[in-house]
Amino acid sequence: MKFISGCAAWTVMICLAVPSSAQFLNKLKQKAENKLENSVDKKVGTGNPNQNQGQAQGGQGQGGLGTGGQGSGGQGMNGGNSGNGGLGQNQGGGLISTPPDVKQNLADGESAFKGGKFGEARYSIQQAMLGVELEIGNKILKSLPETISGLAKDATADQVTSTGSGWAGLTIARKYADGKGKEFRTTIANNAMMMSAVNMYFNSGGYAQQTGGQQNWKQTKLKGNRAIIEFDQNTGYKLSVPMGQSSLIVFEGVSFATENDMMAAASSVDIDGIKKMLGEQ
Amino acid sequence: MKAIIFLLFCTVVTNVCAQDFDKNIATARSSYAAGNLEGARFAMEQLLSDLDAAIGKEILKMLPAQMGALKSNAKDDNVSGSSAGMATGLYVHRMYGLDPKTAVLDIINNSPLMNSIGMILNTPLMGSMMKDENQKTLKIQGYKSLLTKTLDSDTGKTNYELQIPMNNTLVTLKVDDTNEAEITGFANAIPLAKIAQLAQ
Repeated sequence: MKFISGCAAWTVMICLAVPSSAQFLNKLKQKAENKLENSVDKKVGTGNPNQNQGQAQGGQGQGGLGTGGQGSGGQGMNGGNSGNGGLGQNQGGGLISTPPDVKQNLADGESAFKGGKFGEARYSIQQAMLGVELEIGNKILKSLPETISGLAKDATADQVTSTGSGWAGLTIARKYADGKGKEFRTTIANNAMMMSAVNMYFNSGGYAQQTGGQQNWKQTKLKGNRAIIEFDQNTGYKLSVPMGQSSLIVFEGVSFATENDMMAAASSVDIDGIKKMLGEQ
Repeated sequence: MKAIIFLLFCTVVTNVCAQDFDKNIATARSSYAAGNLEGARFAMEQLLSDLDAAIGKEILKMLPAQMGALKSNAKDDNVSGSSAGMATGLYVHRMYGLDPKTAVLDIINNSPLMNSIGMILNTPLMGSMMKDENQKTLKIQGYKSLLTKTLDSDTGKTNYELQIPMNNTLVTLKVDDTNEAEITGFANAIPLAKIAQLAQ
């Protein structure tokens, strides 16, 4: 009898012990996972995942790069959601756009060249050039009017793009809109490859102007500069004005009533000033 | 005697290059300080050109003096670095052998052909659509490469062209009157990894 009751007691104890040992194992596993995550965070340098919230907004380049760029902060922050099986969605971070320091990069390039490290010298000069091109782009953006044909500029859409390679060029974009569908976009490109496409219009007999039928493009002049204006029912007007040897300004107007309205809008841009800033004749 | 003349020539060329670099970096600095951004940019374009030329000369030094029985023609060596208005930067050219059997090696940065070659090599579906029966992909020193065979209808001889894209650098080797084994042997004599490191 004693033996039977002893066996029963053991059975009960084992039955109780199994779930508790499972819980213990789970806890152990959880702790190990936490340790592992912390050590990985330390190694990667992301720190506490919760730091992701708004860290990059402080204007610290490293913070933005660390949290937004790698996405590990986002993963940590949304750890609660991962139990639901959903993918974590990043809610912060981003890269801070800091133009390269031109003087420093020129100095680095010079010392690398003198040390015979030509590849490094080239990288530094490219960075210096990127810095200068971004400055040129921002200067041109500042020179553009605040409003065009009653449309206010959309500062959030301002864009200066450069690769710092010289030949690949510089692109500057500005958008004006009234929020009701009427838009005027300006794109200034300093790019030899784009220029060849536009010059094809001017130089190729195949693109001669026609009469009769629907004329969708024609040659025109904007402030004395030869230009091409195109019209598309879906996208509106597009006016391309080559400037000097390697620059081009493209105006796109959506929901402009007439060609004259479009030309008047484009005329409000100081093309000669832009040409001067880009070093074009 | 020839070696001394060659060394003197190299020294003169390097000094000229260094002088140009010094002059252009001084112009870039003074233009930038004076707020003449376009002037600074132009000087930097010249600097990049100077550097590409210097890198090109370093690459030439690395190339084999001979490919198989074909000796390099030093007088045909060509190096240029164009940064303004051209779709390229670094350009290195060397020719081996004499007509009718020659091998031509070109090393070009930012070649417009890079995209289409990359598509053939790295996208199986697009690659199979773009490739013809005279082309095949192979690996040279670990780099995926495109080998193209052409038949010269005048001479009836077979020529091969091997294109090796590395980062933003395209190495092209063209050999006349050859076969696959010979051109791959020639290509294996080129220090590709070192060129990629220098040219990038």
